[in-house]
Amino acid sequence: MNNWLLRAGSILLTSVVLLLWQLVTATGLVRPIFMPTPAATFVDLWRGLTQGDLLALTMSTMQRMIFGWLLASLGGVLLGALIGLSSRARYWLSPTLELLRPLPASTLLPVGIALFGLHPQMLLGIIAFGAIWPVLLPTIHGFSSIEPRLREVAKTLRIGPLAFALKFGLPNALPDIIAGMRLSLTACLIITVVGEMITAQQGLGSTIIMAARSFRSTDLYAGIVLLGVVGAANNALLGLLEIGLTPWRTART
Amino acid sequence: MNQMTSRFAPSAAACAVPAIAFDKIRLDLGGKCVVDDLSFSVAPGEFACVVGPSGCGKTTLLRLVTGLLSPTRGTVHRLGAFVGGPSPDVAIVFQDYGRALLPWRTAAGNVALALEAMGTPRLERAARAAALLDKVGLAGHGDKYPAQMSGGMQQRVQIARCLAQEPRILLMDEPFGALDALTRQALQDEIAMLVRDSGATALFVTHDLDEAIYLGDRVFALQANPGRLAQVIDVALPRPRDQLGTREQPEFLRLRHVLFDHVQNTH
Repeated sequence: MNNWLLRAGSILLTSVVLLLWQLVTATGLVRPIFMPTPAATFVDLWRGLTQGDLLALTMSTMQRMIFGWLLASLGGVLLGALIGLSSRARYWLSPTLELLRPLPASTLLPVGIALFGLHPQMLLGIIAFGAIWPVLLPTIHGFSSIEPRLREVAKTLRIGPLAFALKFGLPNALPDIIAGMRLSLTACLIITVVGEMITAQQGLGSTIIMAARSFRSTDLYAGIVLLGVVGAANNALLGLLEIGLTPWRTART
Repeated sequence: MNQMTSRFAPSAAACAVPAIAFDKIRLDLGGKCVVDDLSFSVAPGEFACVVGPSGCGKTTLLRLVTGLLSPTRGTVHRLGAFVGGPSPDVAIVFQDYGRALLPWRTAAGNVALALEAMGTPRLERAARAAALLDKVGLAGHGDKYPAQMSGGMQQRVQIARCLAQEPRILLMDEPFGALDALTRQALQDEIAMLVRDSGATALFVTHDLDEAIYLGDRVFALQANPGRLAQVIDVALPRPRDQLGTREQPEFLRLRHVLFDHVQNTH
């Protein structure tokens, strides 16, 4: 009942925001060249998806985002497991990681372009680099924070390093990893769009910036709405994934 | 289980070799002498209890047997062999069951962990885990996660995991210290039976003098700073023991007096 009320409230709030948007634009408070009406935006969005190439562009952006995310997740988990399990690796690598971590991925784009040229793979690499941190750091923590008593259990059972990593480290880190992967996907979306804007690779990012530069405001807003939907869908899907992968955290008597 | 009993039935020759033997053990940890000049031995199949004030090295003693710790001086032998490290023959039940179980594995999964480590074929694991859970009174609870079980049930899972190793030596570190009185008594009787059925040698650490007498064939009383052996008492109470009858026997009360006096004097 409470849950239902909350849900109804949240839908109401979204409607109010849309209504405000309609009010501000329909009354001419903001000129349509800067902000089109919601109706015009959705009509444009619908036309773009059904008749134009908006669907193909969205797919291309999503594909880039997902490949980058998979790369970042895989790299983050493997590297994080190694660093988390070995205090020596932590000791050696943490200064380098601390230097690299705060670098905004967008600043690396010019470096990537200079070094590797305008390749789609280069952009993918930059996306993975920028999105690896939300996975890497929680993974390191998850693998290094295994209960000491469980380490003793593993020792008395003479469980080898690989089995220890898989049976103790990975499940211990999994909740952190999934939370990190959620953040990483958001980071991927941002870096993908910015990357497409800077490198002019085909996708929503380049479409949005072209629309903005040529004052096609309905196209611009359609692209933004589409990105919002993609982001929200990502998060919802990952929430389901989290429940499926860590059943012991939701199982209660 | 019958098969195991016969496999480990002490033959005349095996009886001569103690299951656990400490010879003039000294252990320094962080520049402090924790255990000094500790010598004792436990015979195969014996149920030995260790009591003593906190800081007398009771837990340390178990770690020395597992091989998780090595003595600074002296030697520890297990079943006649020098202790070089952990062995599947030796299982340990920790007091803090909540930390010793994998929270992400069900009861059956936690038992299967030991079976996996022992190299039990994949196809046999589920049936073996179910049989072991049945043995500790957890039939039908195999698919519960530790967080869904009471303390007593969790400790039973840990015991089942240790039994999965088919240990010849079973070490227990205050295993029932965190449980309520009724559960503790039930588990005392169950562990006595399980140990007897398996033919394993038991070394049981507790701070509860009554528990030590109730369970043990012998009780080692340690004293602290540094930890060393103060007294050994033989418990000549008939088995199987009974929570009411055994605890009311004059011999039980006499041993209780002896141990209490000892603890008072060493404090």
